[in-house]
Amino acid sequence: MATRTSPTPTPTLPAAVPAPLPPPPSDDACIRVRGVSRSFPGRGSDVLVLDGVDLTVPQGSFVTLFGPSGCGKTTLLRILAGLQTQDEGEVRLFGQTPGQAAKDKNIAWIPQSSALLPWAGARRNADLSRRVNRRAGRRDADRRAPGDPVAVLGEMGLAGSVDLLPHQLSGGMRQRVSLARGFVQSAPLMLMDEPFSALDELTREGLRYQLLDTWERHRRTVVFVTHSATEAVLLSDTVVVMSARPGRISTVIDVDLPRPRPAGIDASPEFHRTVARLRAAVDAGRTA
Amino acid sequence: MTTGIATASPSTSTDVPRPAPAAPRPRRRRRRWPRTVLPPLVTFALLAVLWEWVATVQASVLPRLPDVATALAEEPDLFLSNLGYTLGSAALGFVIGVSVALVLAVLVVHVPLLHAAIMPVAVLIHATPVLAIAPALIVAFGFGKLPHVLIVALITFFPMLINAIAGLRSVSTELLDVFRSMAAGRMEVFWQLRLPSSLPFLFAAGKTCATLAIIGAIVSEFTGSVEGIGAVIITSTKYLDLPQMWAAIFLSAFVSLLCLGAVGLAERLVVRWR
Ligand SMILES: Nc1ncnc2c1ncn2[C@@H]1O[C@H](COP(=O)(O)OP(=O)(O)OP(=O)(O)O)[C@@H](O)[C@H]1O
Ligand SMILES: [Mg+2]
Repeated sequence: MATRTSPTPTPTLPAAVPAPLPPPPSDDACIRVRGVSRSFPGRGSDVLVLDGVDLTVPQGSFVTLFGPSGCGKTTLLRILAGLQTQDEGEVRLFGQTPGQAAKDKNIAWIPQSSALLPWAGARRNADLSRRVNRRAGRRDADRRAPGDPVAVLGEMGLAGSVDLLPHQLSGGMRQRVSLARGFVQSAPLMLMDEPFSALDELTREGLRYQLLDTWERHRRTVVFVTHSATEAVLLSDTVVVMSARPGRISTVIDVDLPRPRPAGIDASPEFHRTVARLRAAVDAGRTA
Repeated sequence: MTTGIATASPSTSTDVPRPAPAAPRPRRRRRRWPRTVLPPLVTFALLAVLWEWVATVQASVLPRLPDVATALAEEPDLFLSNLGYTLGSAALGFVIGVSVALVLAVLVVHVPLLHAAIMPVAVLIHATPVLAIAPALIVAFGFGKLPHVLIVALITFFPMLINAIAGLRSVSTELLDVFRSMAAGRMEVFWQLRLPSSLPFLFAAGKTCATLAIIGAIVSEFTGSVEGIGAVIITSTKYLDLPQMWAAIFLSAFVSLLCLGAVGLAERLVVRWR
């Protein structure tokens, strides 16, 4: 399970390997959001929540949406998932619209609460994607088989709990089952809306590394939402900073930390510098 | 922050100090029966004593309990056949009322317009006192089983309808999002999400309906029926046969309890996630 190198007392990080500049990705190899706007009926007039959001997420990268409360992160994520529609603009998930992607089960949605079926054990919950929308499963069978729920639960440290019902699990364990459900689905895109926000700090820290480990093994494209700057920097390749009213992308910060992230990276100066940069960007977005 | 390294290493990150998920806990079988069985027994004994006292002081109010037992023992066939008749109408009416309610609830949950169309009628049926329509139904359908069955169906219908609608709507929105994000079909959402979510509601209503069904069947037999426990009660009232009357009453209470227990047992077998 321990894939990470043992912690060194004073971590000297290997210089970030300069990633070979990818050719500008074609629509099939990335998530592309172009000019997406969305407003909601407010008191009197409509409230513009997202205003012309442009975003490109290359395949296999971990991107975090970061910004003040109410800036439209959840709204953007729901639009990506096809759970909500945009008023204007275009969304392409590896060449598909969100609706098509959902039909092909190409989106794994991991909500804020674990949202498990209370009557199903951890294994059945993790395996939900196999029992829902089976037509997509059959159509895609050769291209992508769902993962093995027991194996993924094992990676998540839940090997001994596969038969327990959600009410027999702790909050952190439930959240891990929810993440496992997302990974088992084997969708090329995973969307996570503050999946750890309901947990205590200690559990949360453990889960971050759990997610990091599992993600580094599976390397799906992830769009993640969090309110924690450290969490954002620890997990992401890119942090997209949004500003509020109307929600816009104010800055995009590339996290130049090595992959896989070595243990103890959150104590390194580079890490702290990036967190500080991120905080500054949020403040700049607020005053701007 | 250097201490953070220790907590951050994967071996500890996996399991924040938390007791390992335990194997099924050994059942706590502490002797609970003295606490659960004894107190009600004492209450029943006291009530029986009080009853006997009233029965001896005022024989026209209550029969002596031994006389009730004798009435039961002397004519078991009378009670059993009439009880069978009543239970038959209760069961059939229950099945009809509950089935119609379930079908309507499913429709109402999926077609919002139907909600507006159906609910006023359902409320009206609910507001009508059963006793008031029993004679009308007997006039309309004669002295067979049909009016009794209809009355039971009418009074079990509404509680089940309301609870089933609430239950089918009790699905967590976040779970619904998960299903929608996989483009789950309506049928899949229904069978895998809505129906199981509604089960606790259905069983709660099932218990209400089980007792209501027996009440409905008996009450419907008060007017113009020659069969059933209700008819036995009416006949014994006419002849001031208190022991027989109370035997019938106790019997119906007992059967009501049995039905309640049966639904409760089914609930415990099916709803295991609470
Ligand atoms: N269905 C809706 N109807 C009306 N207004 C909505 C709706 N959904 C979101 N909004 C509004 O859109 C704005 C952005 O909401 P959103 O949930 O996307 O914010 P967020 O960035 O996720 O915030 P948080 O960090 O607190 O979760 C809020 O002001 C909210 O009131
Ligand atoms: Mg949100």
